[in-house]
Amino acid sequence: MKMRIAGAAIAILLTTGIAAPAQAADDAAVRKDLFTVITLQGLPCGEVVSVTTKAENDHIASCKDGNRYHVFLNAAGRVVVEKQ
Amino acid sequence: MAHARLVTIALLVLVAGCATVASPPTGESPAKAAPPIAKAPAKPTAPPPATAKQQSIASRVAPPAPPLNLATLVERLKGTNAIGVLTKITLKNQVDDLLEDFRAYYSGTIRTPLAELRRSYDMLVLKVLSLLQDSDPSLAAAVAASRDAIWGILSDPAKFAAI
Repeated sequence: MKMRIAGAAIAILLTTGIAAPAQAADDAAVRKDLFTVITLQGLPCGEVVSVTTKAENDHIASCKDGNRYHVFLNAAGRVVVEKQ
Repeated sequence: MAHARLVTIALLVLVAGCATVASPPTGESPAKAAPPIAKAPAKPTAPPPATAKQQSIASRVAPPAPPLNLATLVERLKGTNAIGVLTKITLKNQVDDLLEDFRAYYSGTIRTPLAELRRSYDMLVLKVLSLLQDSDPSLAAAVAASRDAIWGILSDPAKFAAI
């Protein structure tokens, strides 16, 4: 029984220990990508602090300065940034 | 009991390994994280501060690199991990816009002077360089080295028509 509990604990720790940092790295990469896109469009942001992903290449980015932007890829293949 | 100890040791090793993986969350470039020892040999050859301030981004990131042809450059830009997907698409949109301006210029539909197009081109190259210089300095150097060659294509109607 103790061995089973130990096994379960290992599985949980491995999952959180490996998956969580990977997820954090992904989030940081998305935030950086969105911040770059917003600033390339000449819009103010400061820093993207949170992201809500609606679909692939479709995000709502919240900036440190309070601005919120809808960043998405439209049907014409252009990245569009709309202030919310 | 022995199993439990082994499991504990394995767990500690794995957790320590995970901590190492998680340590660079900001995507800081290897160049920034390099130990001071790596920078030490460069000091004797570094220019004085007044000269360094006058250097452009391109010259700062550009160790000698041969100019790349357009196809190679595009492939390397597509493949680099220094720029996110949406950023790459945004840059491509801006390149397409600039090419459209050149087409209009050569067809006579706009009266924008070539100097204005040159300014737009320079701004675009600077954007690319600023995005690459920390995370992919070798590609930044290649872009900087290719800058004049690409302008040579854009500013020549015959070469531009062949793109």
